[in-house]
Amino acid sequence: MPKGHATPTPSSKSSPRGRAVRILVVVQRYGTEVVGGSESHARVVAERLARAHDVEVATTTALDHWTWGGHYATGATRLNGVTVHRFAVVGGRDGRYKEIEHRVLFEEHALEDEYRWLRAQGPHAPELLEFVHRQGAGFQAVLFYTYIYEPTALGLPLVPERSALISTAHDELPLRLAPYRALFQLPRAFGALTPEELALIRREFRNDHIPAEIIGIGLDAPPAPSGEAFRARRGVRRPIVLYVGQVTEAKAVDELLAMWSAYRAAKGEGTLVLAGNVLMDLPRREDVVALGRVSDAEKWAALAAADALILPSHLESLGIVLLEAWQVGTPVLVPAWNAVTAGQVARAGGGATYATRDAFAEALGTVLADGERLGASGRAWVERECAWDAFDARVTDLVQMAAFGA
Amino acid sequence: MRSSLLVVIQRYGDVAGGAEAHARMLVGRLRAHVDIEVATTTARDYWTWQNELTAGTTWVDGIRVHRFPVAKPRARMFRSYERRAFAGSHSLADELDFLDAQGPVAPDLAEFLRRHGREFDHVLFFTYIYWTTVVGLGIVPERALLVPTAHEEPAIALTMYRRVFHLPRAIAYNTHEERAMVERRFANTRVPNDVVGVGIDTAPGASAARFRAAHGLGGPLFLYLGRIVESKGCPEMFALWARWRAQTRTGATLVLAGHREMAIPARDDIRYLGELSEGDKWDAFAACSALLVPERLQSLSLVTLEAWSMGRPVLCPAQAPVLASMSRRASAGVPYRSFAEFAEACELLVERPELTDRLGQSGRDFVARTYTWPVVVEKYLDLLAEVRARNASDLS
Repeated sequence: MPKGHATPTPSSKSSPRGRAVRILVVVQRYGTEVVGGSESHARVVAERLARAHDVEVATTTALDHWTWGGHYATGATRLNGVTVHRFAVVGGRDGRYKEIEHRVLFEEHALEDEYRWLRAQGPHAPELLEFVHRQGAGFQAVLFYTYIYEPTALGLPLVPERSALISTAHDELPLRLAPYRALFQLPRAFGALTPEELALIRREFRNDHIPAEIIGIGLDAPPAPSGEAFRARRGVRRPIVLYVGQVTEAKAVDELLAMWSAYRAAKGEGTLVLAGNVLMDLPRREDVVALGRVSDAEKWAALAAADALILPSHLESLGIVLLEAWQVGTPVLVPAWNAVTAGQVARAGGGATYATRDAFAEALGTVLADGERLGASGRAWVERECAWDAFDARVTDLVQMAAFGA
Repeated sequence: MRSSLLVVIQRYGDVAGGAEAHARMLVGRLRAHVDIEVATTTARDYWTWQNELTAGTTWVDGIRVHRFPVAKPRARMFRSYERRAFAGSHSLADELDFLDAQGPVAPDLAEFLRRHGREFDHVLFFTYIYWTTVVGLGIVPERALLVPTAHEEPAIALTMYRRVFHLPRAIAYNTHEERAMVERRFANTRVPNDVVGVGIDTAPGASAARFRAAHGLGGPLFLYLGRIVESKGCPEMFALWARWRAQTRTGATLVLAGHREMAIPARDDIRYLGELSEGDKWDAFAACSALLVPERLQSLSLVTLEAWSMGRPVLCPAQAPVLASMSRRASAGVPYRSFAEFAEACELLVERPELTDRLGQSGRDFVARTYTWPVVVEKYLDLLAEVRARNASDLS
């Protein structure tokens, strides 16, 4: 792997929407092995932009977001047409992180504690910030990913005049901490994943003078999975009600199980299929089937086989699994109190919401009864909104709003 | 209901200093329209930031003032921090060290802003350069206004100051020149702003004769008012003066008044009067041919505006970007580029009083157009309303 942060020879790319510009993407983790919604989004954006522009990434050597342990080598490397600069994380996540977090979120504390929390959370990568300080002005636009981490919170203020913030914010306590008060006033433009995220940013920070673009996501066409084969292989009784993601209380799967029992008790039919790492105790009953972690192919097969997808989580910055369900024409069901997923469902017309846990059974019945129409509506919406050319146009608009001198 | 304003400034009260005097005058004028409190430090001296005043809440001119202790005075090795931060290849860490070393580091003031800043409709920060503004602005950006008092100097090129010029909801510049410089550097035209400055109170009944009699001064007079110190360009002024006096027949005297922080050449044609009373100051303007302002880095020269309001022109180096440009716009000053130009200007100002008076009258008109209190107060009220409007909008 090459060492040092030499600037690569600028290529003479051009795009139909204007001259190639130098763009820097700052994100806490980056790479094909990295798991994480914001991180994947950052890589998608970097690689799409690299088709028309000179794109570089400033990130850390970390693979996981808990220890931030050094996995990659420091220095510059190339990945899919993008130059990636990796900087060391100093100290990893602080051992007292949880204790400090509890203090700043729930107890009497000082301003200083909030900055200590930011640093303890990590990734603390001072050389990354030095890079932004020294090299930032050499880029026409700098896109920062994920508001909560230090590279963004301390990096964006170094180049406000050419910055865009893709905050992936949701309504959570840390959003109210002092370090973010300045952050959300500084960018030239916001890139939001959903209208609900943007509304949150506006409501919390009163910054509607800063322009914004709802960039959403672009998606490849799904493989042609066979729902029949999945049903035959797994032998589960229809209707199949699917959950995809980590099987954990943090994603409200416990709530889903309780609602499922009530649905069944009220003579609801079918099987609840859980696809994803199981991180909690599950009831032993034949109408609940846990597949554990599944391959990508099996995930698509399950989505195609399902009669409905449930995403019960309370906080979601995009809910990409909803989009994937719609890609194969499967309708979805989400809680009305998750503004982001409920908003996506309303826009796509691809499912229903339940206003209370007690309303779950009835809502599920509605989705199952009208599944074909809802699924088709979701599919049409996704094909329009998540087409690559539509996504590229939105990202290009964001870069143009942020670009220095624009 | 009246709106509320918190003023945040590094020092406040009976302290020397342009920005500090500016803040206090402004508070005096705005208090009729807004409920004002001040958050500041216990320092009186801008160099040491020693805790000389008592921490806690006190009153200055009937305004509630919250004083917070300075945790760290200016670093003993400040100049070395400054050198490192101003070097071409410096790091971000060097900049943050410089900010701390410069002071006044007042964590309790920052804490006050975190806990109580949002209780005020607006928070007005004075001077871009100090810790109190750099840290404080980030805590209440959505209701912040900034009076940057910025000028071309090495510090303004530091990366850490970029956010300071993008964070506030409104900026009140002192001069058009300052605004042009800041917008060129920071590309922050998106921040609502105006050229505001301060108002100048003219003094009726000033008397040249009274001044000459009181101090035993005859012949043509040139005036310098302010701290007598190297950084204000005094050594250059003394050198130019000595060279000109060696060749002129005008018999002019250079009159100096202000805090003395360097040796003044012992010459018959230079008179140091110590610090002048307010009345004496206006008499001095009336008595002089022109005011000398030799400093090259200056954002807004209050004494220049005062001289103009008294109908007296100024002499300044052409390299002083703000003052030279203002002098040209006002047609009320003579920027000099060399000793020859300095000498020629001094001769003219003494020999042709009708020309001097014409320049002075232009200065008086210039001040009346922009730098009077009714104009300044109105502009501030507009900026405050702009900040409030954005925060009042119900977006939920």
